[in-house]
Amino acid sequence: MPLRPARAGRVGVIRAPVAKTAVVARAVTPGRAPVAKTAVVAAAVTPRVGRRRI
Amino acid sequence: MTSVSLDELGPVDYVVVEFPAGASNFTGEMAAELRALVDSGTIRVIDVLILTKDADGTVEATELSDVGELGELETIEAELADLLAADDVDNLAAAMEPGSTAGVLIWENLWAAPFASAARRAGGQLIADGRIPIQAIIASIEADDETATAGD
Repeated sequence: MPLRPARAGRVGVIRAPVAKTAVVARAVTPGRAPVAKTAVVAAAVTPRVGRRRI
Repeated sequence: MTSVSLDELGPVDYVVVEFPAGASNFTGEMAAELRALVDSGTIRVIDVLILTKDADGTVEATELSDVGELGELETIEAELADLLAADDVDNLAAAMEPGSTAGVLIWENLWAAPFASAARRAGGQLIADGRIPIQAIIASIEADDETATAGD
Protein backbone atom coordinates (compact mmCIF):
# COMPACT_ATOMS: atom_id res chain seq x y z
CA MET A 1 0.00 0.00 0.00
CA PRO A 2 1.29 3.49 -0.70
CA LEU A 3 2.57 5.76 2.02
CA ARG A 4 0.53 8.77 2.97
CA PRO A 5 0.98 11.65 0.52
CA ALA A 6 2.38 13.87 3.27
CA ARG A 7 5.55 11.78 3.30
CA ALA A 8 6.38 12.39 -0.36
CA GLY A 9 8.73 15.22 -1.17
CA ARG A 10 9.58 15.85 2.46
CA VAL A 11 13.19 16.08 3.57
CA GLY A 12 14.16 12.88 5.35
CA VAL A 13 15.33 12.71 8.94
CA ILE A 14 17.36 9.49 8.59
CA ARG A 15 20.33 10.97 6.81
CA ALA A 16 22.21 7.85 5.74
CA PRO A 17 21.69 4.12 5.29
CA VAL A 18 21.26 2.48 8.68
CA ALA A 19 23.84 -0.14 9.60
CA LYS A 20 22.66 -3.35 11.19
CA THR A 21 23.63 -3.64 14.83
CA ALA A 22 24.58 -6.87 16.54
CA VAL A 23 21.48 -8.85 17.45
CA VAL A 24 20.99 -8.27 21.16
CA ALA A 25 18.20 -10.81 21.51
CA ARG A 26 20.60 -13.65 20.79
CA ALA A 27 23.14 -12.41 23.31
CA VAL A 28 20.65 -12.55 26.17
CA THR A 29 18.53 -15.49 25.10
CA PRO A 30 18.23 -18.00 27.94
CA GLY A 31 20.72 -20.82 27.69
CA ARG A 32 23.87 -21.74 29.52
CA ALA A 33 26.41 -19.20 28.24
CA PRO A 34 23.97 -16.35 27.45
CA VAL A 35 22.47 -16.55 30.94
CA ALA A 36 25.93 -16.01 32.32
CA LYS A 37 26.27 -12.98 30.08
CA THR A 38 22.98 -11.60 31.32
CA ALA A 39 24.28 -11.86 34.85
CA VAL A 40 27.47 -10.09 33.82
CA VAL A 41 25.52 -7.19 32.34
CA ALA A 42 23.28 -7.00 35.38
CA ALA A 43 26.36 -6.79 37.57
CA ALA A 44 27.84 -4.07 35.41
CA VAL A 45 24.85 -1.80 35.78
CA THR A 46 24.26 -2.46 39.47
CA PRO A 47 24.90 0.54 41.73
CA ARG A 48 28.49 0.45 42.87
CA VAL A 49 29.26 -0.63 46.41
CA GLY A 50 32.95 -0.71 46.86
CA ARG A 51 33.53 -0.85 43.10
CA ARG A 52 36.08 1.55 41.65
CA ARG A 53 36.84 2.46 38.06
CA ILE A 54 40.59 2.40 38.59
CA MET B 1 2.63 16.67 14.93
CA THR B 2 1.01 18.65 17.69
CA SER B 3 2.42 22.06 18.40
CA VAL B 4 5.25 21.51 20.84
CA SER B 5 7.78 24.14 21.79
CA LEU B 6 11.26 23.05 20.77
CA ASP B 7 12.40 23.92 24.24
CA GLU B 8 10.00 21.36 25.66
CA LEU B 9 10.72 18.61 23.17
CA GLY B 10 12.38 15.54 24.60
CA PRO B 11 15.05 13.57 22.73
CA VAL B 12 13.69 11.61 19.80
CA ASP B 13 14.91 8.07 19.19
CA TYR B 14 14.15 5.31 16.75
CA VAL B 15 14.49 1.56 16.52
CA VAL B 16 14.15 -0.85 13.63
CA VAL B 17 13.03 -4.23 14.91
CA GLU B 18 13.49 -7.00 12.39
CA PHE B 19 11.43 -10.17 12.28
CA PRO B 20 13.22 -12.75 10.14
CA ALA B 21 11.04 -14.81 7.82
CA GLY B 22 9.09 -17.39 9.84
CA ALA B 23 10.34 -16.08 13.18
CA SER B 24 7.57 -13.69 14.13
CA ASN B 25 5.29 -14.58 17.04
CA PHE B 26 2.89 -11.70 17.61
CA THR B 27 0.86 -12.21 20.76
CA GLY B 28 -0.06 -8.58 21.40
CA GLU B 29 2.55 -8.30 24.14
CA MET B 30 4.61 -5.73 22.23
CA ALA B 31 1.58 -3.55 21.61
CA ALA B 32 0.55 -3.74 25.26
CA GLU B 33 4.03 -2.76 26.46
CA LEU B 34 4.16 0.15 24.02
CA ARG B 35 0.73 1.30 25.11
CA ALA B 36 1.85 1.15 28.75
CA LEU B 37 4.83 3.39 28.00
CA VAL B 38 2.56 5.90 26.31
CA ASP B 39 -0.11 5.76 29.01
CA SER B 40 2.47 6.34 31.73
CA GLY B 41 3.76 9.44 29.94
CA THR B 42 7.19 7.93 29.47
CA ILE B 43 7.18 8.31 25.70
CA ARG B 44 5.11 9.78 22.90
CA VAL B 45 5.03 7.74 19.71
CA ILE B 46 5.78 10.00 16.75
CA ASP B 47 5.76 7.56 13.87
CA VAL B 48 5.46 3.89 12.98
CA LEU B 49 6.08 2.15 9.69
CA ILE B 50 6.09 -1.51 8.74
CA LEU B 51 8.77 -2.42 6.21
CA THR B 52 9.09 -5.60 4.18
CA LYS B 53 12.14 -6.52 2.16
CA ASP B 54 11.74 -9.10 -0.56
CA ALA B 55 14.35 -11.71 -1.38
CA ASP B 56 15.51 -9.48 -4.24
CA GLY B 57 15.92 -6.52 -1.90
CA THR B 58 12.81 -4.64 -2.94
CA VAL B 59 11.43 -2.67 0.00
CA GLU B 60 7.81 -1.88 0.65
CA ALA B 61 6.55 0.39 3.41
CA THR B 62 3.14 0.11 5.02
CA GLU B 63 1.40 2.63 7.24
CA LEU B 64 0.28 1.32 10.61
CA SER B 65 -3.26 2.32 9.68
CA ASP B 66 -3.15 -0.12 6.76
CA VAL B 67 -2.24 -3.13 8.88
CA GLY B 68 -5.81 -3.94 9.88
CA GLU B 69 -7.11 -4.51 13.40
CA LEU B 70 -4.86 -2.40 15.62
CA GLY B 71 -6.25 -3.19 19.04
CA GLU B 72 -3.99 -1.57 21.67
CA LEU B 73 -2.32 0.54 18.99
CA GLU B 74 -5.45 2.25 17.74
CA THR B 75 -5.17 5.36 19.92
CA ILE B 76 -1.42 5.53 19.29
CA GLU B 77 -1.99 5.42 15.53
CA ALA B 78 -4.44 8.29 15.77
CA GLU B 79 -1.74 10.51 17.30
CA LEU B 80 1.08 9.74 14.86
CA ALA B 81 2.88 12.69 13.33
CA ASP B 82 4.09 11.03 10.10
CA LEU B 83 7.59 12.40 10.65
CA LEU B 84 9.34 9.95 8.33
CA ALA B 85 9.66 10.94 4.70
CA ALA B 86 9.42 8.55 1.79
CA ASP B 87 13.18 9.08 1.36
CA ASP B 88 13.80 7.62 4.80
CA VAL B 89 12.43 4.21 3.91
CA ASP B 90 15.45 2.98 1.95
CA ASN B 91 17.88 4.26 4.57
CA LEU B 92 16.01 2.45 7.34
CA ALA B 93 15.64 -0.73 5.30
CA ALA B 94 19.38 -0.85 4.63
CA ALA B 95 19.77 -2.71 7.92
CA MET B 96 17.23 -5.39 7.01
CA GLU B 97 17.93 -8.87 5.71
CA PRO B 98 16.18 -9.88 2.48
CA GLY B 99 12.96 -11.76 3.20
CA SER B 100 12.36 -10.04 6.52
CA THR B 101 9.75 -7.71 7.97
CA ALA B 102 10.59 -4.86 10.31
CA GLY B 103 8.77 -2.38 12.46
CA VAL B 104 10.14 1.15 12.62
CA LEU B 105 9.26 3.06 15.76
CA ILE B 106 10.06 6.72 16.38
CA TRP B 107 9.34 8.18 19.78
CA GLU B 108 9.94 11.19 21.94
CA ASN B 109 11.40 10.53 25.36
CA LEU B 110 8.94 12.56 27.39
CA TRP B 111 10.67 11.53 30.60
CA ALA B 112 13.83 13.36 29.51
CA ALA B 113 12.19 16.59 28.38
CA PRO B 114 12.01 18.38 31.76
CA PHE B 115 15.64 17.56 32.53
CA ALA B 116 16.81 18.63 29.06
CA SER B 117 14.82 21.83 29.37
CA ALA B 118 16.34 22.56 32.76
CA ALA B 119 19.83 21.87 31.40
CA ARG B 120 19.25 24.37 28.58
CA ARG B 121 17.95 26.98 31.01
CA ALA B 122 21.12 26.45 33.03
CA GLY B 123 23.16 27.27 29.93
CA GLY B 124 24.02 23.71 29.02
CA GLN B 125 24.31 22.48 25.45
CA LEU B 126 23.99 18.89 24.32
CA ILE B 127 27.29 18.09 22.65
CA ALA B 128 27.09 14.29 22.52
CA ASP B 129 24.66 11.52 23.16
CA GLY B 130 24.28 7.89 22.24
CA ARG B 131 23.60 4.39 23.36
CA ILE B 132 26.03 1.87 24.80
CA PRO B 133 25.43 -1.54 23.19
CA ILE B 134 24.93 -4.42 25.62
CA GLN B 135 27.70 -6.22 23.76
CA ALA B 136 30.14 -3.44 24.66
CA ILE B 137 29.25 -3.76 28.34
CA ILE B 138 29.73 -7.52 28.18
CA ALA B 139 33.10 -7.09 26.47
CA SER B 140 34.24 -4.55 29.04
CA ILE B 141 33.29 -6.69 32.03
CA GLU B 142 34.75 -9.84 30.49
CA ALA B 143 38.01 -7.98 29.84
CA ASP B 144 38.02 -6.87 33.49
CA ASP B 145 37.47 -10.46 34.59
CA GLU B 146 40.31 -11.70 32.39
CA THR B 147 42.62 -9.04 33.78
CA ALA B 148 41.67 -10.00 37.33
CA THR B 149 42.20 -13.70 36.59
CA ALA B 150 45.59 -13.01 34.99
CA GLY B 151 46.62 -11.19 38.13
CA ASP B 152 45.86 -14.20 40.35
